Amino acid sequence: MNIFQRIIVEPFEKCYEKLLYFLPNFFTSILLLIAGILLAIIIRIIFQKFFKTIKLDRFSERSGIVEALSKSGIREPLSVLISKIIEWIIILTFLVVAMQNLRIPTVEHLLERFFLYIPNMFIAAFILIIGYLLSNFFRRAVLIASVNAGIKYSGLLSKFVRFTVFILSCTMALEQLGIGRDTVIIAFAVTFGGVILALAIACGLGGKDIAREYLEKKMKEDNKGDGINHL
Amino acid sequence: MNSLIDKQTREIGEADILVGIPSYNNARTIGHVVKAVQAGMAKYFRDRKALLVNSDGGSTDGTTEIVHNTTVDDFETIFITQKTEPFFKIVTPYQGTPGKGSAFRAIFEIAETVKAKACAVVDSDLRSITPEWVELLIKPVLEGGFDYVAPLYQRHKYDGTITNSIVYPLTSALYGKRIRQPIGGDFGFSGRLAGFYLAKDVWETDVARYGIDIWMTTTAIANNFPVCQSYLGAKIHDPKDPGADLSAMLYQVVSATLDLMETYSTVWKPVKLSEPVPTLGFQYDVGLEPVNVSLERMVDRFSLGIKELGIFWKEFMTKELYSFFTKLTGNRKKTFRIPDEIWVETIYSFILAAHKRIMNREHLLKSLTPLYIGRTASFVMETWDSDSRKVEEKIENLRLMFEEKKDFLIKRWDE
Repeated sequence: MNIFQRIIVEPFEKCYEKLLYFLPNFFTSILLLIAGILLAIIIRIIFQKFFKTIKLDRFSERSGIVEALSKSGIREPLSVLISKIIEWIIILTFLVVAMQNLRIPTVEHLLERFFLYIPNMFIAAFILIIGYLLSNFFRRAVLIASVNAGIKYSGLLSKFVRFTVFILSCTMALEQLGIGRDTVIIAFAVTFGGVILALAIACGLGGKDIAREYLEKKMKEDNKGDGINHL
Repeated sequence: MNSLIDKQTREIGEADILVGIPSYNNARTIGHVVKAVQAGMAKYFRDRKALLVNSDGGSTDGTTEIVHNTTVDDFETIFITQKTEPFFKIVTPYQGTPGKGSAFRAIFEIAETVKAKACAVVDSDLRSITPEWVELLIKPVLEGGFDYVAPLYQRHKYDGTITNSIVYPLTSALYGKRIRQPIGGDFGFSGRLAGFYLAKDVWETDVARYGIDIWMTTTAIANNFPVCQSYLGAKIHDPKDPGADLSAMLYQVVSATLDLMETYSTVWKPVKLSEPVPTLGFQYDVGLEPVNVSLERMVDRFSLGIKELGIFWKEFMTKELYSFFTKLTGNRKKTFRIPDEIWVETIYSFILAAHKRIMNREHLLKSLTPLYIGRTASFVMETWDSDSRKVEEKIENLRLMFEEKKDFLIKRWDE
């Protein structure tokens, strides 16, 4: 009897005790999660209405954000997209709180590490957004300046500038996230240096004559330029 | 004002007339300008106390020394024999944001201190200035009751194309006064108007850097100061820096015009038609230096602009306007034309887009450059065989079109 008690009953009693200790936390966590989901839905609706009032979609169309999103396969308006992101942040926050409420040491340890990593994710996302906006700004500035200077390959030049600025911001974002820290920087430096070297070799050897002809033509054009005084 | 200038102005006391010369590295030409101004004062205002102010932006080529040392040595050779009132000179570096506007501010401050009755400003790179310019800019203020005197020049038909195709017709249509050279650079104005300019809170804005010319003209018109224009003959000045960027010039002029439109929207909206302003001075024809024009290159620039920048214009141009430009791309024939109606709609569309902040203002207005070049090419082709009278008629027709289509602008301005 004693043996039966020790081998079979005691573990079950311990398990039952643990279950009794765990179940209230579990139900509280589920309640927290449901409350979080409901709150997230309400806040999403409020934000959608707010974005509609401030005409965010019109702004996003004008600033080219819609175009960029559609290129990456996102067809939803920016107002819906941001509202959904906010909704998911709230759900995620409640999920994390709910999981912490379970008081499982492994989960707690994982969550702690996750929380410490979150600021890096936000900074990386911020760097990417700024990088994207800057790359578009510089692309437009270079395009307009090169068209006004009469450079035939203005489109190509401006795309190159946009690509470089965006890749630079991606490198910075990855570095912030701690992903392949040195590898990413070295890869960027090698790629960028390689492109410049390739261009230098192409102009210096392969396109020597073309470059000379082009420069000669440009010089002649500048010399016989318009004598119009515009003001 | 610095203490040295303060001391100098106190020594001078009050002055009747003041002529200001803004400068920055103009050693080659400023001597001639100073002589012309001094001779003009001696010849036409001998009984008036006169002051010349050189407001310099930190020249390093000896400009200020030249102003100090230049004087008319022999008045008899220019037929001035009677004794004249003393001629005073102040050479001062201006303070604040570098630019022509800050140079003018220093001149206005001195004008107010010496209680000048009439003032004029002339560019320091002028080669064609004569003593008569001083009379023509100052006398309408002293004796004609005008507060603002704009210049009127004889120019080559392809000279001053931004003025001819945008600034003159637009300013006339907006404010109702036909001032032919609103950004001429040489102006006369009363001491009262100098004080009015000085009191405006614009000296830390872009007006201090550029756009002072259009600002002075528009401010005078919009605030109902009596304005006129004086015929000065030919305007020949030192060649501008060949590297001077056309798109930057275009941006500065249109941006300054737009700022003024925002300030004076209640003034220009009710104006329906324009009227001529009194024109003074004896008008005569002068021989002008020929102007080189490369039409093929201009059309190429236009086509490149349509191909690469059209994507931005599509956002604010009407479909018809955008499709007109795309169809014109690659047309190298003599039939390449951008009609007045299309051009006016283009300018109004850009103004509206900048007003509504559809994109970065500098980018937007600089992207106008290829269209402006296209319009200039069209104008050159149209007027290739025309004399100056015919060309003036054409510019007047453009002004009428700006007036006719003003409703297009007003309707969309507040949308």
